[in-house]
Amino acid sequence: MIRTRTEKLLLVLGATALTAIPAWGQKQTPPAGGPPKAFTVPAHETYALANGMKVTLIPYGNIPKVTVNLALRAGGLNEPRELLGVANITGELLKEGTSSLSASALAEAAARMGSTLSVSAGADETALDVDVLSEYGPDAVKLLADVVQHPLLPEAELARLKSNQLRQIAVAKSQPGQMALARFRKLMYGDHPYGDVLPTEESIHKMSIEDAKKFYAANYGAGRAHLYVAGKFDVAGVKKAIEAGFSSWAKGSVAIENVPKPKTQRLLDVTDRPGAPQSTVYVGLPVASATSPDNVPLMVTNALLGGSFGSRITSNIREKLGCTYSPNSQISRRYHDAYWLEAADITTDCTGKSLGEIFGEIQRLQKEAPGAAELQGIQSYLSGVFVIQNSSRGALIGQLRYVDLQGLGEDYLKTYVQKVNAVTPADVQKMTTEYIKPEQMTIVVVGDKAKISEQLAPYATTGAANK
Amino acid sequence: MILKIDRAARAIALFAALILLCSAAASAGPSSAAELKVPVEYYKLPNGLRVVLSPDHTSPTICVGVYYRIGFRIEPRDRTGFAHLFEHMMFQGSQNLAKMEFVKLVQQNGGILNGSTRFDFTNYFEVLPANKLETALWAEADRMGGLAVTEENLKNQQGVVGNEVKVNVLNRPYGGFPWLDMPQYANTNWFNAHNFYGDLKDIEAATLTDVQAFFKTYYAPNNAALAIVGDFDAAEAKKFVEKYFGPLKASELPAQPDLTEPRQEKEKRATKNDALAKRPAIALGYHMPERNTPEYYAMCLIDEMLIEGDDSLLHQELVQKRGITGNVQGGINLLGNPWDYKGPMLFITNMIHDPATSADTIVQAIDGAMEPLRTKPVEQKMLDRAVVKLRSDLYDTVGQFSGFGLVDLLASFALFDDNPGRVNTLVSEYQKVTPELVQKTAQEYLRPENRTVLLVQPQPQAPAAAPAAPAKNQ
Repeated sequence: MIRTRTEKLLLVLGATALTAIPAWGQKQTPPAGGPPKAFTVPAHETYALANGMKVTLIPYGNIPKVTVNLALRAGGLNEPRELLGVANITGELLKEGTSSLSASALAEAAARMGSTLSVSAGADETALDVDVLSEYGPDAVKLLADVVQHPLLPEAELARLKSNQLRQIAVAKSQPGQMALARFRKLMYGDHPYGDVLPTEESIHKMSIEDAKKFYAANYGAGRAHLYVAGKFDVAGVKKAIEAGFSSWAKGSVAIENVPKPKTQRLLDVTDRPGAPQSTVYVGLPVASATSPDNVPLMVTNALLGGSFGSRITSNIREKLGCTYSPNSQISRRYHDAYWLEAADITTDCTGKSLGEIFGEIQRLQKEAPGAAELQGIQSYLSGVFVIQNSSRGALIGQLRYVDLQGLGEDYLKTYVQKVNAVTPADVQKMTTEYIKPEQMTIVVVGDKAKISEQLAPYATTGAANK
Repeated sequence: MILKIDRAARAIALFAALILLCSAAASAGPSSAAELKVPVEYYKLPNGLRVVLSPDHTSPTICVGVYYRIGFRIEPRDRTGFAHLFEHMMFQGSQNLAKMEFVKLVQQNGGILNGSTRFDFTNYFEVLPANKLETALWAEADRMGGLAVTEENLKNQQGVVGNEVKVNVLNRPYGGFPWLDMPQYANTNWFNAHNFYGDLKDIEAATLTDVQAFFKTYYAPNNAALAIVGDFDAAEAKKFVEKYFGPLKASELPAQPDLTEPRQEKEKRATKNDALAKRPAIALGYHMPERNTPEYYAMCLIDEMLIEGDDSLLHQELVQKRGITGNVQGGINLLGNPWDYKGPMLFITNMIHDPATSADTIVQAIDGAMEPLRTKPVEQKMLDRAVVKLRSDLYDTVGQFSGFGLVDLLASFALFDDNPGRVNTLVSEYQKVTPELVQKTAQEYLRPENRTVLLVQPQPQAPAAAPAAPAKNQ
């Protein structure tokens, strides 16, 4: 919900893609290129301060900028049921000034370094981020230290931030993708905090400054924080600033463990949106989490099935049927929790047919292992994307934060490519059979009910997916 | 796809070091100022292809971009949306690669790819492991050399593009607002003012003959720039470029149509009814000074001062002080950045607000925040901050997406200015901007008469709400 300069940097790769096994016949064969160059994940240094705060420094690249990112184990997971949204409101309040800087002085201080302070509260973590010109690395650390330890949390600004939150909720509820996601998560997680993508208007209305202060006191502390610094920067100067800025921060409480037991069930849930030219379809189910040995084989399976431009589902419902623009499957993860999801906005008349093709592609992969060449193509693709995922300061922080949150260990990044390439065609078939079961999927559709009810009728029960 | 990129994606380029002069004096402050200079080698093949090479060995990847100087502005009048539909067709088969094979080739070699259609160019790019440079150049040259597409492919992509328009415009609240809508209201010249995504009926009417004619007219080496960034050897790259692109024939290019917009003398206002929106929204669009003029550089800094970042004047006034909105958005060239376009452009600011706040109240608040820029020279420290923010954005663009950001700058500057080396001098142009020039620019370009105010009006929720239509005069 919070937009920042850095977030906007990502050029989202839309959809212009397709698939097929090369069969060039009389035609020229593409040149193969030279021998591959070696790639190793850029070196980084991790240590802990005496109060338990972890620090990871990643000197990288030649762009004269440095990103300072503080990840805190405090998010939606920590919100009391009756105060949904308090993690986000607390995060927003952090930007409203510190004991030594007013909100506008804080904004100006960040701007003088070439940045804007961003604070975003997610399901598991709240992240504070500034992305500054290289020479300001130590100053950026100092600024973040001040913001996270000495926030004013001013009551005078609360009403305004609540209005912003209410406006965002109203807008989100009018977006078909957000509507579908909210239903999908609610059906899967019920009353667990992961089940609430959006706060309720009621919880925002009744939230007081005391609630935010209480949330801050209970969840912010050095013991739950990990500071990442990546880019081109003065390592010694930044280390000194970290010690000076953070060593007196209280340790605070330990992060809670609350891993959900999401529902695996066939359920068809339709939200009526009369007149909608497309049906927004979310279909999926819980799968093994990041810590499972099946994690990497599942990622390979997903990329082949629906998670890349050239994947089977995309080839089918986009490049063959022309029924959708940007279909995509993914494995969505939270702390020790994951689900597989295919999401697509499909022309209304095409809804039932496309759903049938999605299930059909899954079943085809369950029945028959993919060919070695097709799998190898996907393995090369994931190996290449891994390099890209480790080739910018923002991407590096993202990768390391994922590894640290899930507790995957240093080894994960070092052995990832090897693990990807060890997956066999039989493994892919097995992953599909074991995890990606159409008959146990939750199907959420947001669309024109009058036009799609009949098309969807066969999917209301578990039997139909197997016909 | 039409790439929709937000503000930060627009920051671009690099520059040479302005702060060298003060580094000696800055002992108490930061050690030395950030500085970035990228290598730029530029030449043309005999067939007219503009080639830019910029090696960078940080990561073992390369980014190859081919930019054709045909954007959606100058597509045929009875074929709105055609430039974009055509972009899709470039993935549907060429001389040696059948449908799906181009994408497969890139993916199976460990790469990612995309294309996009913008105001003044259509681009195609891929990021691949460094050892696959030759593969990428061969494939791009193959499709520059000729398309092999069928009726079936065209029909399929008409379906895909129809769905793209639905998901990005028709089936969502604020669809097309303001990036697709504002040019249609603010501009008067058809080339700048038509629906770039296209009317669905125009998209459906396109024929294979249209596709081939469009290709023949615009997709030639003398209407294109090729930029290569990343971990490669320049001498080797040149050999590949010569080998694969050298044999392609130049074509006779049509004259560019007149794209100019008249000076706007009267404020325009329009309201777009949006049955899907739950909160009103407002956008103000101001015609920009001509690209690369002193006023243009000043306007880029005005953009930084007015709407970029939490310290900006509009954020402070509208978000922080008055609570009118939570987020002031906008910028110069919402489909790219302040550098990757050629023709007339708008500076836009937009926001979603509550029904209790009237549009007039917001316009007055914006005028109030802008007024100091028009009535007196801006404080030097504020101007300095704007330059720092701009530099910071610029570096992000250069580092963006495994070389793509730099490819975008180099190719744009090659196509539009015949001078990709501009990436290294850009910052110095901004440093020439004075408080007086900012004031003069604000007086002319932030005139109320120079703007178009576009309102999004949510409709009372009827039971069978129709989706919002994208075009004006609905």
